Amino acid sequence: MNLSTFRPVFRPIGNISRLGQATVLSQNAPFTRSPTTPITSTSSFSSTANLQKRKRGGPAPDPRITSIRYFLYHPLTPRPLHFSRLRYLRHWTIHRAWMLFLRKRRRAEELDLERQYNSMRDACEHLRLLDGNGMRVSDAEAGGQGPDPGSLGVKGKDVGRIYRSAMLKRGVYGSVPIEYARAQTDFPSRDGWNHAWTRD
Amino acid sequence: MASVKPSGRHFSACFKCIRTPASVNVNGTSRRFLQVSASAREELQTQSTPSPTPPPPTMKSAAKKEVPEYMQKWGELDAQTVDEKREERRLVRREGVQPVGSRRRRTILNRMAANRADEIAFEQLPFQAFQEARKFLLQDRQEKLKAIEVQTARINNLMEQDPAVSGGSSAKEARLRSMRNHVQELIILADINDPVVKKKFEDGEGDMNKPIYRYLADQKWRKYKRLILEQRISQLNLVPDFLPALNPVADVDLGFGRKDVAPGEFVDSALSEQMPRLKVQTFEPGEKLVSVVVVDADVPVLSKDSFTTHCHFIASNIPISPTQTSIPLIRIGQQDNKTEDVSARKIALPWQAPYSIRGAPYHRLAVFVLEQKDAKALDVEALKNTKRAGYNVRAFVEKHKLNAIGVSVFRTKWDDSMAGVMERAGLKDLVNVELKRKRIEPLPYKRRTERMR
Repeated sequence: MNLSTFRPVFRPIGNISRLGQATVLSQNAPFTRSPTTPITSTSSFSSTANLQKRKRGGPAPDPRITSIRYFLYHPLTPRPLHFSRLRYLRHWTIHRAWMLFLRKRRRAEELDLERQYNSMRDACEHLRLLDGNGMRVSDAEAGGQGPDPGSLGVKGKDVGRIYRSAMLKRGVYGSVPIEYARAQTDFPSRDGWNHAWTRD
Repeated sequence: MASVKPSGRHFSACFKCIRTPASVNVNGTSRRFLQVSASAREELQTQSTPSPTPPPPTMKSAAKKEVPEYMQKWGELDAQTVDEKREERRLVRREGVQPVGSRRRRTILNRMAANRADEIAFEQLPFQAFQEARKFLLQDRQEKLKAIEVQTARINNLMEQDPAVSGGSSAKEARLRSMRNHVQELIILADINDPVVKKKFEDGEGDMNKPIYRYLADQKWRKYKRLILEQRISQLNLVPDFLPALNPVADVDLGFGRKDVAPGEFVDSALSEQMPRLKVQTFEPGEKLVSVVVVDADVPVLSKDSFTTHCHFIASNIPISPTQTSIPLIRIGQQDNKTEDVSARKIALPWQAPYSIRGAPYHRLAVFVLEQKDAKALDVEALKNTKRAGYNVRAFVEKHKLNAIGVSVFRTKWDDSMAGVMERAGLKDLVNVELKRKRIEPLPYKRRTERMR
């Protein structure tokens, strides 16, 4: 909790520049005020009784004292901002709408990526099943996919020629093997790369 | 003069007086006349029948005779909102009524009324970002409503489907269950972003028949009150001592007379001599029948140097629902006394004031709200044979197939009023008994030797 909320805040009554004027005044003409007028407020910070202070028309507080109090005691951090009820509700509404908007946009982006990935995968699959005449062959006749895209099927080199060349990773990762794409750890697992993985 | 001083504030005050029904205000006669005439006018407007002559004129003239001309010029003076010295004086003179409350309060009321007159509804406030946000949220709500429609249609389709097609009846049931949960989620999501819903809930005007308000109330309860209750349950060992497990799902507010009792609080014995009042807020739709049981688990047994339980109260077949939350046990007791039909009675064991012997450790008295299975009524006559001493809550719950949905607990110890309470409860012989801790004899003195160091 910010305790500055409860700290008293004295504010200079008039313009703050009056402080400077007051000091100048006191240096140049310290006796401008007639010495006969009683100045109760100059003796200490608060010698005035509460009741006397509450009454109107009492001795006006010295602006210098007010300023000194202000600059000595005002809190270093400003009072925390509080919205009014309706203002807070409006803020809340806008915040919720913004969060909802962000969520929807994120979801749309994810869906878009997924769609792109799926269509790339479908295109590759189509190429794999394509023979030299541009005809589709069955899955059994086609060559391998996944971990061994280079292996040939029953029908030989003609089927999936473009697929195989597309799957060539030569130069794709530079001269570094793909295995190094994994985050390197001090104690890698014994079987760090699952070579047998297939989609289905 | 001040008599002709039309200001918006006064007009709004007038409106306020007109709207209040005449029966509410029972002030001086002239005051009543004004009220009656106003309400009569309003009735006429609502009826919109061309009645030849409204009855007020005769009364009006009669009142005019009472109130002098110059006083009538003062206009409407409302005791609730008069906030100037002169107006107050006039109110006292003309109406013979003292202004209500402090002047400060009346001024505030005045200002509120003036503000309300030209107030724009919250959701219409012309702030661009706010309105754009609302538009976006409303659009989202429409999407959610559509999704609910689609999902319910799917559920209906699935229900008609042959279980063999959907992979066995259990798989079908599981799918249906998850689909229904999804619909419930969507219903909440459709309204959760509505600022008006939030505002209404915060104002306590939420309709508990609607799922969104139940959801919000549940969340609020779980975020603070239930945490404290859980802490008390574990601190006071309610769980192994009364029941094997407790999962409170309803908010139980306990109070004696005017005093609200937080879970685990010590209650003055003079207060707990009367039956408590309970407020049970359930967050699930539908009406339930519950039993209320109050058990003390700390009755000392001197012969065995141990403790036993004691049942202080059993009432059954009390209906509650999300909107019907109050269980005024005192009133239920009065109704029980009135009813001739024995089976309609609800209290099986009447309230016995909790007591504690002087010097004994505090007593924990748990108040259980037990849901009756399938809202079936229990036989109260049979429950009347329940033994109070050595009462076992576990057995009771097991036997009647109850489910503890809510719990609260309070504590009792010896206090100044306990002697009187015990006397009235017929335990006069225990008033002067004082328990003392057994003194544990210290071990015999033994000189410390080198070896012991």
